[in-house]
Amino acid sequence: MDDRKVRNIGISAHIDSGKTTLTERILFYTKRIHAIHDVKGKDGVGATMDSMELEKERGITIASAATFCEWKNHEINIIDTPGHVDFTVEVERSLRVLDGAVLVLCSVGGVQSQSITVDQQMKRYKVPCVAFINKCDRSGANPSHVIDQLRSKLGHNAVAMQIPIGLENNFQGIVDLISMKAAYFDGENGEDVRIEKVPSALMQEATAKREALIDAASMFSDELTEIILEEREIPEELLINALRSGTLTRKITPVLIGSAYKNKGVQPLLDAVTQLLPCPSEMKNEALDMDNDEKPVILSSNPEDPAVALAFKLEDGAYGQLTYIRVYQGSIKKGSTIVNTRTGKKVKVGRVVRMHADQMEDMEVIPAGYIGALFGIDCASGDTFAAPRTALTMSSMFVAAPVISLCISPIDNQSQINMSKALNRFTKEDPTFKTYVDDETKETIIEGMGELHLEIYVERMRREYGAEVETGNPRVAYRETITRKAEFNYTHKKQTGGSGQYGRVAGYMEPVTETEFEFVNKITGGAIPTQFISACEKGFRACMAKGPRMEFPVTGVRVVINDGASHNVDSSEMAFQAAARGAFLEAYAKARAVIHEPIMKVVVETPTEFQGPVMGLLNQRRGMIVGAQDDGPMCVIEAQVPLAEMFGFSTVLRSATQGKAQFTMEFALYKLVPQSIAEELIEKAAKKKKSI
Amino acid sequence: MMLKKDLITRHPLGIQGDETDIISKGEFGAVLSRAGVGKTAFLVQLALNAMLRNRNVLHISMNDPVDKITLWYKELFHHLAQRHAVEEASQLWESLAPHRFIMTFRVAGFSVPRLRERLADLTGQDIFHPDMVIIDGLKFDESTRECLADLKKLAGEQSFHAWFSVHTHRDEETPQDGIPSRLLVVEDLFDIVLQLQPSETDIHIKPLKGPSKMISGLTHLTLDASSMLIK
Repeated sequence: MDDRKVRNIGISAHIDSGKTTLTERILFYTKRIHAIHDVKGKDGVGATMDSMELEKERGITIASAATFCEWKNHEINIIDTPGHVDFTVEVERSLRVLDGAVLVLCSVGGVQSQSITVDQQMKRYKVPCVAFINKCDRSGANPSHVIDQLRSKLGHNAVAMQIPIGLENNFQGIVDLISMKAAYFDGENGEDVRIEKVPSALMQEATAKREALIDAASMFSDELTEIILEEREIPEELLINALRSGTLTRKITPVLIGSAYKNKGVQPLLDAVTQLLPCPSEMKNEALDMDNDEKPVILSSNPEDPAVALAFKLEDGAYGQLTYIRVYQGSIKKGSTIVNTRTGKKVKVGRVVRMHADQMEDMEVIPAGYIGALFGIDCASGDTFAAPRTALTMSSMFVAAPVISLCISPIDNQSQINMSKALNRFTKEDPTFKTYVDDETKETIIEGMGELHLEIYVERMRREYGAEVETGNPRVAYRETITRKAEFNYTHKKQTGGSGQYGRVAGYMEPVTETEFEFVNKITGGAIPTQFISACEKGFRACMAKGPRMEFPVTGVRVVINDGASHNVDSSEMAFQAAARGAFLEAYAKARAVIHEPIMKVVVETPTEFQGPVMGLLNQRRGMIVGAQDDGPMCVIEAQVPLAEMFGFSTVLRSATQGKAQFTMEFALYKLVPQSIAEELIEKAAKKKKSI
Repeated sequence: MMLKKDLITRHPLGIQGDETDIISKGEFGAVLSRAGVGKTAFLVQLALNAMLRNRNVLHISMNDPVDKITLWYKELFHHLAQRHAVEEASQLWESLAPHRFIMTFRVAGFSVPRLRERLADLTGQDIFHPDMVIIDGLKFDESTRECLADLKKLAGEQSFHAWFSVHTHRDEETPQDGIPSRLLVVEDLFDIVLQLQPSETDIHIKPLKGPSKMISGLTHLTLDASSMLIK
């Protein structure tokens, strides 16, 4: 296997710029599927719905985690990139798996807001990309305008690789500026590429654009510059290599054009993917060394080194769980032993397969740079598998605690069953998504990192699992903590016939910042017999789950016990647990408990003219604006805003900025709730208690 | 807030004894040094000191992104809190943070009208009213005079005082113990000018211009070369 012939790419696009159609055509031309069905039609529910139904109809998964296809001796893995960009875990994971990307733009709509977000992420992860301007057959198509937008809005050094022959209704084909040949796409499905001379009417434009292309490429090759100066004929390969080095460092974005729907320009795009985008060993991949404080380590991509692989997607198949992995270093062999670095569990590799669109192929080994799937391995997505004694992980082990919760109830029995299936899957896929059943209300609660995060999962339950659920109001995960030291000395005594209960615990509780709960036993002389100490701890710990004041979880408490008493007959574990509970309540009342709320780091990117209004919006929401970064036409505002104030922010932001602003939100820290808000919360809690 | 008070009085720049700013409304101060000596560190400490006294500080940077500036503040606050063994430093920090606002511009994107517009956004909506403005990384050349004069006007209107960092060059001609020629043309706009001079172990703060009372108070100050804290 030659890793230079491998391309792991993502196709990312604004909704409705034709991602599904393009993917379809690619699979058709690479002979993965044998007929083209149109996405269009139906009732215009939107691209995602269309592709889902298509998948069912066809029994294949176009949008599966990784679809493998072949083009001119190259192996191309098309990796699904999530369409939503609001929670980072999943996006980060998919961007790590790909080495390059095709940025699909609509020739009419141009660079739209979502393209901007997607582009930002690719920039952050330094993913090289080529752009494909789709829908050149539509009325209003203007590829050169889109190229201008790529330059001005996204700051890409976009260079045209092709010019169109005709546009809109009259869109016939393209002129390739490297070979200076015209290409037309014949046959029922455009499968026959007919190469001809450049139409004379376009010769002048083509020559000028080619000059610009060569000019841009010459920055990356001294040899090319020399040839230009000597005015010799430029070899195609040299030009392509120069463009390639520019693309890999993200200093050039080659732009291709076409219309996937009209079967034009897709094959040249595939050529460009193989010629211009990087192979796995050209990309630098980092892992974190767990023995060394998660220090980044650069992986070698050598198939002989100890293996490191990332499980990036799980799928339920007929034969159990299918785990998609990307190998970064070393090789994963059938029959070898690998370790899940999150759990430390050793796993024996059973079947190793490669996924085609409609079938799978058994493999002996997956070497570095390749994507494959493992069977029957229990893990969560995002887990790293490594060779034994290789303590490397692809993603940080740190998982933030959920900040928002939602209660959900299935509408019928079938939904109940489907819902539990879905929840089981989601919690495995996403470490920031949690679920539990509330002991008191018996409701199912889901928890996550934001309103949208939970909304998407509820939607997925509906769509993918057919589980209809009703949702309650989202609830912010407040916490209680104490701010001063308080002492307790509590005796639990009961004598109501039969054997009595007796236990006394004394000591103090104090605030602690590093941990959630700490229990310290400073009892000397056996005031409480050793066998009951753990019962005391249990009793205290149980109180942490629900604060006496507001019923929010309590954090940051250290309990120290230093005295107590027991009774020969009447003391029991039960008695000491009860005593601990009493002691907790006694001290807690004196420890000046306060409420903390999750604060989100909110970053808004907006055209500069809306900077003022956006700051106003953030300020109204009890936000503290940290700063504003002026970047010419766009500016970035960073603020810290309580999560409780962020509900519905996206709608408000959209209407205040004509839909031109974007925002991302992630959990930052827990902070004290201001007095007035705390009183409101207490009042609400009191009301709730009454109504129960 | 006993702790806060402690930090202020023990903070070396509190030597003036009272709780007033070094310069007053509408006035300008400048900190001069070569690259990498500690202009930003010095300015951030001035800012922290002001924030501890509940003054609002607007930090304008021409080079660094918001994240990096936030880090400067965190680091220096952390050092300061450690040196004075402040307990519950994080709580104190949380109470300070709202007193700071960071703005960054690309060098070419900065202009006084633009700043005026931004400030109007902030003050008009009652989001932030600066008492002190730090301008870090403004280029000083022939055209600066106009810009500074505009700023001075703005400072008067909005009643804030401003501190600037001035980057000096090794080969620049400077009159003995004097103000470098580039600054000389706008010198009249500044009320206090301090120079940071590195020696082997420390960085000395050398006043070049200012009220004599202030100068005598500042001459013995140094910066610790490793923590960049004012000693």
